[in-house]
Amino acid sequence: MELKMIHGLRVINKGVALVVGFGLLLCAGFVLADIIMRQIGTSFGGTEEIAGYAMALATSWGMSYTLLELGHVRIDLLRSRADSFKRALFDVFSMIVMSGVIVTIAIKAWPVLERSINNGSRANTPLETPLVWVQLPWFAGWVWFAVMTTLTTLAALSLLLKRRHSDTENFVGAFAEQETLQ
Amino acid sequence: MIAYVSVGLLGLLALSIPVGIVLFLLGFGIDTFFSNFPLTRGLGNMVWSSSNSATLIAIPFFVLLGEILVRSGVATRTYAALDRWVSWLPGGLVHANVATATMFSATSGSSVATAATVATVAMPQAEKLGYDPKLFSGAIAAGGTLGIMIPPSINLIVYGFLTQSSIPQLFLAGLIPGIALAIGFMAITVIICLIRPDLGGTRRTFPFVQMLRALIDLVPILILFGMIVGSIYAGWATPTEAAAVGVAGSFVIALVFGGVSWSMITQSLTGTVKITSMIMLIVIGASFLNFTLASAGLGRELTEFMTGLGLTPLKTILVVVVLYIVLGFFIETLSLMVVTIPIIVPLVVAQGYDVVWFGILMIVLIEMALITPPVGLNLYVVQGARKSGSLNEVMLGALPYCLTMLAMAFLLIAFPSIALFLPNALQ
Repeated sequence: MELKMIHGLRVINKGVALVVGFGLLLCAGFVLADIIMRQIGTSFGGTEEIAGYAMALATSWGMSYTLLELGHVRIDLLRSRADSFKRALFDVFSMIVMSGVIVTIAIKAWPVLERSINNGSRANTPLETPLVWVQLPWFAGWVWFAVMTTLTTLAALSLLLKRRHSDTENFVGAFAEQETLQ
Repeated sequence: MIAYVSVGLLGLLALSIPVGIVLFLLGFGIDTFFSNFPLTRGLGNMVWSSSNSATLIAIPFFVLLGEILVRSGVATRTYAALDRWVSWLPGGLVHANVATATMFSATSGSSVATAATVATVAMPQAEKLGYDPKLFSGAIAAGGTLGIMIPPSINLIVYGFLTQSSIPQLFLAGLIPGIALAIGFMAITVIICLIRPDLGGTRRTFPFVQMLRALIDLVPILILFGMIVGSIYAGWATPTEAAAVGVAGSFVIALVFGGVSWSMITQSLTGTVKITSMIMLIVIGASFLNFTLASAGLGRELTEFMTGLGLTPLKTILVVVVLYIVLGFFIETLSLMVVTIPIIVPLVVAQGYDVVWFGILMIVLIEMALITPPVGLNLYVVQGARKSGSLNEVMLGALPYCLTMLAMAFLLIAFPSIALFLPNALQ
């Protein structure tokens, strides 16, 4: 069941990553269009601002895909010397710590959004973007990441308790370097 | 506080907690034990302001550019073309390894991707032509490290962001040392192969017509590099804009070479998202740790610490170099750079050194970290592509190149103008 859930999360987050990727591509196109417009003496204005928002959103929503593809860098020095049971202990421990930190970030991200909602804050720029528009999806991205890390941790923990520790390697292990190279 | 951060950092990293998360944990620790104000209250704002950045979006753009070039088969053509041009040298194809790695690093900005690409293309040739597997694979691992030095370099963008120094200046400063390193790598290869001709495989020459024809495959990459770097230096475009231009350029090259397909696009995009988020978790963690350290008064403590040690500026730099070499055995490039910036950079700058110059020195040192065992990512990448022989061979083969880098580091210390000449001249 745990592995099925992880597979499901992977499929969903790959879709999310694709959306984020196309968003980045769109943003690159937008920046490019602005450069061209500048050459003919005009400009969209606010490209920098929009690029910044795109980066914030891409970051918060891309994190979960990286998590499930084992992309977040870990130092594999002691862990790689342990047997598969101890490796699973390392992995589950680091996932528990990670979930704690990410959940904290998601909680602390809320006041940022809350303030923008309460004050109706707008960006201090020519576009005067209402910050809620960008901070709401940004906050949602971190909540999504918090939920994903927690679910992944629970799946690994559950497998560990069932003594199926070798099954955890494939979704909370240290590296998937070989796959990324193909 | 310095001791707490250092011990905490190494301890938590050794537990194999993700690097980005370790940085947040250290920040929480500083808040709890060393600060009179509740710094964690600023966490949300830190995460927002450090990711809402038009500068950092250059990172996914450059990653995407590299992904497109790699996945569309442009690398294979480049390698074949360079083979025509450099295979007459003692060491033959080894030079093609270094030269391809140099050209790709010049456009893609990622060391691992560069090493992986060259390894995949080059390895089958090595056996066929009777090269020494040690030297051959060592050269790929080492050549791949140039990706973080020659602009556009993602690591330099991150360094500029975290130390608030000018990214175009850093790019300018990296150009000469990067090219000098590539030439140094080729020179050491020639020397080794003159002493031991049996290591260098068959030297080959190609008819001039073939060499000219091969140029067609090199020109697009050179134009792309010229477009990106030129537009930054000429002041037409910010690094971010140049990166967007680069994405478009790489797309055009891929189209012309017939390497564009739906699966290639989706793989490039998801690959970009994966690498970007990996980098950003570390960058955001470092920004938060930077903020807590500065708020808790690290600067004062560092100055006192250094005065207490009574080191001259030169001795300080030498200690820093040794520190990076030792840490480089265990920690990888970006992580090594980001976790040390909050402490080392203020320390070095307080001794009167230039922040741009130190950025380049640091890059040379963390390049070495990529090919020093037991943790040297490029070694594993090349070994992964080899599928035969042992990792020790790659390590041994990379050793001469490691020494070249060390020599480069000392040259930079002795003659800072190697890095600073271009930024000063074009200011």
